[in-house]
Amino acid sequence: MSTLSFYWPSIKNEVVKLKRTFALWLSVISALFIPVIYFLYYLIKYEGLIPKDGENPWNRFISQQINNASPLLIPMFIVLVTSLVVQIEHKALGIKHLFTLPVPKWSVYFGKLIVVIGLVLFTYVLFTSLALLSGYIVGGIHGELQFWEFTPEIQRYLKLLFRSFTGVLGIIGLQFWLSFRIKNFIIPLGIGLVLFITGLIVFRAEESIYYPYAYSMLSLFSLRGEDVNALVWLPRVSIYSLGYFLVFSILGFLDIRRMNIK
Amino acid sequence: MITPIIKTENLCFSYAKHKKDITSLDLEVPKGSVYGFLGPNGSGKTTTIRLLLGLLKKQEGEVFLFGDSFSKNRLKSLANIGALIEAPSLYEHLNARENLQVAARYRRNVPKGRIEEVLEVVKLDHTKKKKVKAFSLGMKQRLGLAISLLNKPELLILDEPTNGLDPKGIIEMRTLIKELNEQHGTTIFISSHLLSEIEKTCSHVGIIRNGEMLFQDTVKALKNSENGKLVVEIENDNVSLAQETLRELDIATDVIEEQLLSLTVNEKNEIPVLIDTLRDKEISIYQVKIKDNLEELFLTLTENQKS
Ligand SMILES: Nc1ncnc2c1ncn2[C@@H]1O[C@H](COP(=O)(O)OP(=O)(O)O)[C@@H](O)[C@H]1O
Ligand SMILES: [Mg+2]
Repeated sequence: MSTLSFYWPSIKNEVVKLKRTFALWLSVISALFIPVIYFLYYLIKYEGLIPKDGENPWNRFISQQINNASPLLIPMFIVLVTSLVVQIEHKALGIKHLFTLPVPKWSVYFGKLIVVIGLVLFTYVLFTSLALLSGYIVGGIHGELQFWEFTPEIQRYLKLLFRSFTGVLGIIGLQFWLSFRIKNFIIPLGIGLVLFITGLIVFRAEESIYYPYAYSMLSLFSLRGEDVNALVWLPRVSIYSLGYFLVFSILGFLDIRRMNIK
Repeated sequence: MITPIIKTENLCFSYAKHKKDITSLDLEVPKGSVYGFLGPNGSGKTTTIRLLLGLLKKQEGEVFLFGDSFSKNRLKSLANIGALIEAPSLYEHLNARENLQVAARYRRNVPKGRIEEVLEVVKLDHTKKKKVKAFSLGMKQRLGLAISLLNKPELLILDEPTNGLDPKGIIEMRTLIKELNEQHGTTIFISSHLLSEIEKTCSHVGIIRNGEMLFQDTVKALKNSENGKLVVEIENDNVSLAQETLRELDIATDVIEEQLLSLTVNEKNEIPVLIDTLRDKEISIYQVKIKDNLEELFLTLTENQKS
């Protein structure tokens, strides 16, 4: 009880601090990006996109959007948004204030971390809703696309998104720690991008299963058939990613707790 | 003796290996005092405050707040402290009230009306929806102060709080400090590099230089410590003749500038005698100035003394 009584105010405050920030806008814009492009694509090029008889048009429409967003955009979004959210605190010279309040340091650290994760989740949810919405709208304009004749297989898409989301938790843990520790926003951003680009290069190697920055690729098209099975909610990368998340979050907190606030 | 509100024993800290930034510092801030922590820029005032509040990890020594070891009672001690360290911590994209609400929510037990109260105290209640981004330096400083007052702290720690304030703001800050101390019994620890500041507001003073405490006592004791001697500066047109004349009176002099002599007398009545003697030699005197003794003392303490 007393533990939660510290935690709730922290989380609530983190949400308040997001108000009117670029981090919040970035989440909205990132969620909009792909659905808007696909909306325009289907709007203009609909003639070549009319489904074969009996084929559910949603599957291609949504899966392609997820496949386009997940491997590239999502990790870059994560790296950027994590830095931005923590930067709100650095810019306010806030850590010295937070750590001299009668509030345990863990509630500050994990309160912020939860809000970063919440923001990422919010982007996923917004993305999914917008993808569906754009399907219905473009389907309303061009009836021959048959979006209204079929129902989207929501569970299948959620599964993909869930795998993608769990796949990026590991890098959230590390990026958050880096951003918290380093005041200069460019450094965690730079490190994150370099690590991610490395991931792009190495993800075909078998060993990339141990490299969290490759997970956004691996969570969708794995080298091993077993993992690519769309029926699996938690493929191996997701489990490893969760492991990395726990390790980085705990190490990060232990480090931040002892850090000199200059 | 009543336990001091702040006490440190042998506090040591360095940012880097090759040099000590705080050396064996023993602070003692009595309950109910206004303690001036005085020292030139870079002497270690902010570093000390960060050590007191646990923002920096002390490398040696012990900090006691409210009589208890700080490291063992961190949250309990912090609940009774309000602090403003260097520039205030403010979310610039939020307005004054929102900033206070955030701080109040962390503290959890701040009564609703308190936010309006502190806004009034620092005279920011008119800012309405204006974002902190658009505040002047002085307004930000005052908002920082308001945040530190939210919990009606028993101990208020202010690091150079008049930075960025205009003269009117400085006077208001002084009044506020007096008021808090006298009416609410708040113990106030205030750092400054200006002696005049400390002299006007504080009951106690600690003087720090290069991370070492040079003097720590009541302001009264500091004033008495110079045993009534006065430093006098005399601007005249014949410095060498004046020096010679005064030497005959057994008074040692220093030439400060081309036409400026400095000397020390034991009491005020000696001054007219000196002037008459010099006038007899037809030396023209343009100006006689009694130096602010405390200022002198502060300078000798912090600058001239070699460690
Ligand atoms: N973040 C820092 N890193 C390294 N050295 C520092 C840092 N902050 C202060 N110092 C050094 O510590 C000494 C004391 O500084 P500080 O406590 O800020 O002095 P004051 O507050 O009295 O002006 C100075 O020599 C300063 O250069
Ligand atoms: Mg300072």
